[in-house]
Amino acid sequence: MTDTEIINLFFERSEQAITELAKKHGNAVARVARNILGNEQDTEECVNDTYLGTWKAIPPHRLSPLRTFVCKIARNLATMKYHASTAEKRNSHYDVALDELEDCFSDGNSVEDEFNAKELSEAINSFLATLNYTDRFIFTRRYWYSDPLPDIAKMANTTTNSVTVRLYRIREKLRYYLMKEGLLV
Amino acid sequence: MKRELISQALNGMDDRFISEAASFRPEAIQETPERIVHMKKKRIVSIALAAALVLALGIVAYAAYFSMNQRVPDATETFRINWEEHPSGYLEWHDAKLAITFPDTAESKEIEFRPGWLPEELASLKSDAWLGRLTAEQLADKYPNMTASQPMLIETYYMSMFNDGGALLLLYYTPENIIEEHWDEQGVDVMRFHATEVLPANDRRPEQTLEQDIILMSNPEAGWVVRLAGEAGMDTLVKVAKNLEIRETGNVLTYNDFIDHYTFMDGGVG
Repeated sequence: MTDTEIINLFFERSEQAITELAKKHGNAVARVARNILGNEQDTEECVNDTYLGTWKAIPPHRLSPLRTFVCKIARNLATMKYHASTAEKRNSHYDVALDELEDCFSDGNSVEDEFNAKELSEAINSFLATLNYTDRFIFTRRYWYSDPLPDIAKMANTTTNSVTVRLYRIREKLRYYLMKEGLLV
Repeated sequence: MKRELISQALNGMDDRFISEAASFRPEAIQETPERIVHMKKKRIVSIALAAALVLALGIVAYAAYFSMNQRVPDATETFRINWEEHPSGYLEWHDAKLAITFPDTAESKEIEFRPGWLPEELASLKSDAWLGRLTAEQLADKYPNMTASQPMLIETYYMSMFNDGGALLLLYYTPENIIEEHWDEQGVDVMRFHATEVLPANDRRPEQTLEQDIILMSNPEAGWVVRLAGEAGMDTLVKVAKNLEIRETGNVLTYNDFIDHYTFMDGGVG
């Protein structure tokens, strides 16, 4: 079934929409949630909440591509859940990815607290636009999808070591970019 | 930076990047005809240069030479670094401020070092341990006028790493007057300079100038290079460099021991 057909089912308020959505994009949604939350029980809960969120959002929205839309809902829900339970043991791929960025942003520099997440998002988006396709793919898979390095290497048909080194270079570039933008001092 | 802020910022990433990364598309990697021509041309030029070098060495084998070559690349020059493991075959860097190359070296002798002298502010780093890298980031508060992240950093590189077009690059900082010397006591060629990077003013802060001094010491016979960099001051760095104890580990490093055949020397983070 095409995305358009699935969206039409949502507009018709047919419960079949959820079934078809799960069939087509369920794995991608679960992967995003699992990478962040690190356990199956929370992942399942998050996936179900994502379907509910999608049910509430369509209509009125008719967002495309559908996969990106549902993955975004899953990520938002998963990160909220993650930050609400920071006292729990950290063990997800997301922790490791966040650690990498945290190190990159704070290494040896003080950081202004005034700016907000929106400004930082805009800067990251502008920065990503300057990267070549492969670097952008690797960055996004690592820090948005929170994929483990061996998985990214497999997807990009390269070695884990190559991805590691490449990510290091990208983070260095990002750090300088943010310094130039005044987001890091 | 707070993890939550980073996390929220990542949530705001543009849909087109998220969609684009849903699956890897090798066809999206741009392999322009210019690049192919460039790589072929580079190969021919490399062979020609290698031949010329062999000839020159044969004729004037006794002549002394300086083991580091430096040039300021054009801002538009792209450093296309071979990376055979990756489908794209290369990495790209633009707008480099300085490129330093070394004679092709089949084998480099691995070294380790320890400082024989350190300024009072960095005295806590003194130890008997032999090192491959020394960073003083944690002592930045001893230097209240610092503009960036490091009072002092010492790193080692190996010439065999840079064979076949590799280079040591300055990507963001701009070098000032470059001094080339030979330090007889250590038997090393030395290149040293002050470098700055101007961050233009924006809504959040006035114009800011980052500064650092860089010293490169190279030993062409053994094929190693040591970099000292930071904001402790050139005189201090020179004194540290001249008192650095360096010894060989017994390992030999060749081109194939390195994944990457270039590196850059602006930061020193990580």
